[in-house]
Amino acid sequence: MKTIFLFVLFFSTSMISPAQDRKTLRWGGDKNGGAPFIFEDENGKLIGFEVEFADYLARELGREPRFVQNQWDNLPELLKRPNQGRDDDVDIVLNGYEFSKERHEETPTTVPYFIYTFRLIGRTDDDSIKSWAGLETAEPRKRVGVLRGTASEKYLESRYGDKIEIVRSETVTEMLGLVAEGRDVDATVQDSPAAAYYIQPDRFPKLRIVDEPVGTGYYVILTRPEDAELREQLNNAIRKAIRTGYLRDLYRKYGLWSAAQQRLAYLAEQRWPDVADELGDEELKDRPQTSIRFSAILGNLLRAARMTILLAVVSFPLAILLGMLMAIGRVYGPWPIRVLTIIYVEVLRGTPLLLQLFVIFYLLPQLGTLAGSETLTNWLSITPFSAAVLGLALNYSANEAENYRAGLQAVPRGQLEAALALGMSRPTAIRRIVMPQAIRIVIPPVTNDFIALFKDTAVCSSILVVELTGLYYQYKTYPGIVVELAAAVGLLYLLMSYPLSILAARLERSLSMTKEGGRA
Amino acid sequence: MISVSKLTKFHGSHRILNGVSLTVNKGEVTALVGPSGGGKSTLLRCINGLETFQSGEVDVLGHKITGGQPNDPQVLQKLRQSVGMVFQQFHLFPHMTVLDNVMSGPRHALGKSRAEAEPLARKLLERVGLKDKADSKPANLSGGQQQRVAIARTLAVQPLAILFDEPTSALDPAMAKEVLAVMRDLAAEGQTMIVVTHDMDFAEQATFVHLMKAGEIAQSGTPAEVLKDHQ
Repeated sequence: MKTIFLFVLFFSTSMISPAQDRKTLRWGGDKNGGAPFIFEDENGKLIGFEVEFADYLARELGREPRFVQNQWDNLPELLKRPNQGRDDDVDIVLNGYEFSKERHEETPTTVPYFIYTFRLIGRTDDDSIKSWAGLETAEPRKRVGVLRGTASEKYLESRYGDKIEIVRSETVTEMLGLVAEGRDVDATVQDSPAAAYYIQPDRFPKLRIVDEPVGTGYYVILTRPEDAELREQLNNAIRKAIRTGYLRDLYRKYGLWSAAQQRLAYLAEQRWPDVADELGDEELKDRPQTSIRFSAILGNLLRAARMTILLAVVSFPLAILLGMLMAIGRVYGPWPIRVLTIIYVEVLRGTPLLLQLFVIFYLLPQLGTLAGSETLTNWLSITPFSAAVLGLALNYSANEAENYRAGLQAVPRGQLEAALALGMSRPTAIRRIVMPQAIRIVIPPVTNDFIALFKDTAVCSSILVVELTGLYYQYKTYPGIVVELAAAVGLLYLLMSYPLSILAARLERSLSMTKEGGRA
Repeated sequence: MISVSKLTKFHGSHRILNGVSLTVNKGEVTALVGPSGGGKSTLLRCINGLETFQSGEVDVLGHKITGGQPNDPQVLQKLRQSVGMVFQQFHLFPHMTVLDNVMSGPRHALGKSRAEAEPLARKLLERVGLKDKADSKPANLSGGQQQRVAIARTLAVQPLAILFDEPTSALDPAMAKEVLAVMRDLAAEGQTMIVVTHDMDFAEQATFVHLMKAGEIAQSGTPAEVLKDHQ
């Protein structure tokens, strides 16, 4: 009897109040953001100063730390979902998120655990960038890289928006690599921890930090509005970490300690976040605005939509041309050609577009490095736009090859025979008689592919191309315009793709082989 | 003008043609008759190289196809320009107008311009009685009209001989009559033709008739000699 009672008690408690929830501290972060925040060592073990700090906090709260991975700019969204105690619900977000009033209103913040600045990073052999001020006057305009959706991006936009070109990427090391290779990006602005960690002779020897740090900001932990108790526990734990010297030792271990961090001790004891106003901290007041009016970004959205169209209309005809050649090789070629076209189609169809774009843009130039030829490296270092067009064209050419193969095989054999019997050569018969019919047969699937490619251009933002979806990700970190933004981007896609559908339907009608009035 | 000698064709282990020999002279109309599966159509398709064969030879004015070996595509092309073919199922090009169909040979096989090809094409359409259908699509024509366009299309290349592969078998009697009328016209004008047919009325007017059975020419002679026994 007693056993059964305990049994029932055990289950009822675990179902009603998430007992699990009290024991674990699930903290959200993005390990792709990289060192020294959250990253993996050579054994795949999660390390970084925020990992150790999360462990420390959990220990102080009597909980078990559990890391939840998510894309960096989506982390605050996780806190807007109800906490149901599931494994992928997070309790806090701890990953280099800077304090701002708008952010504090949506996801209340703890006292700061790190004071960061922005560092300007350039190439050691590039004397054209000597200072922040130099960015404003440089001719031609400098291309400066940042991580999408970060405070440094907003800083650059508000300070230098019309004087430089801002290039966006997702990971620190990719961006540093592009600057080091002198490819398409002249300099980059990173938070001080990343700059301190990576700008070392054994990591990026070709890069250096330029000028003084600017724009002091505060890393804080984000929480849910209703978790006031948790917030207070965290604040106490952070204060203790500062008081006892735990944080100083942690930051020294990662080479992040500086005299500036000593202000943490003062800030942490003040009323948070009121101290931001009370302090009269000039730099804090001078923080770039982190909200933005929707009307201000509309022009950028339209420009990005133009890029989306450009990518689609340049790459798809190439895909069709390549696809047709492959289909002809597959259907009419001798067996070695047939085998090659099958391999071509299966490889390109069986691997994701994103991977192909990465290989073309990031890995292809390294072939030159491997071969020890600088000429080859330069030649293979194509621009983001060219890489995007090439990737889309190659990827879709595999689909089009299959479409046109089906089309060629659907044309009755008698058509080819009749053309040959008139004395046409085989290539002429295929080009003049069989192919035009195959093209008409496969207009519907090819049109579908064009609309699919149109949407797939979104992937190109991962190789620095500024198109519509990339811009959506960039702006959605601004509080307050998320709904308008999503609606506008969706509407723009629809406005672009719907006319395509109509155009395709019209094309299909006018090329019809049965109706009167169609043209050959 | 056309000579076939000892032509043998297998399909797998099945022997379709067994040492067929045949000669056709300029201006003759040769009818191939006989039961289905006798090898008539296959012989026709071998003559202009649409089918390969294992041994024997086809010679059209010196353009030769030899069995059992790959033949030069350019020789095949020349041979086909000399020997046109009209199919049972017409095989008009559905994406082109009637006029473009008729011009397709001169333009894409002989390399003539549209302007060079058009007068002859229109004349040929008039000759087969379809002058006013020049801008129609094949799908909008009756079977008999389509076959007449196919004949005009073949004539446009100005071949020395034309092979007809059961040209009226897919047509009802009324339409077959239109097509046969055109063919009689051609024969009267001295067009060299080899016709595979089941139409005995037409065969009776041929210069020679060959009766084919089981891959061999069982009987050859004038229509009177062959058709009397056959019927």
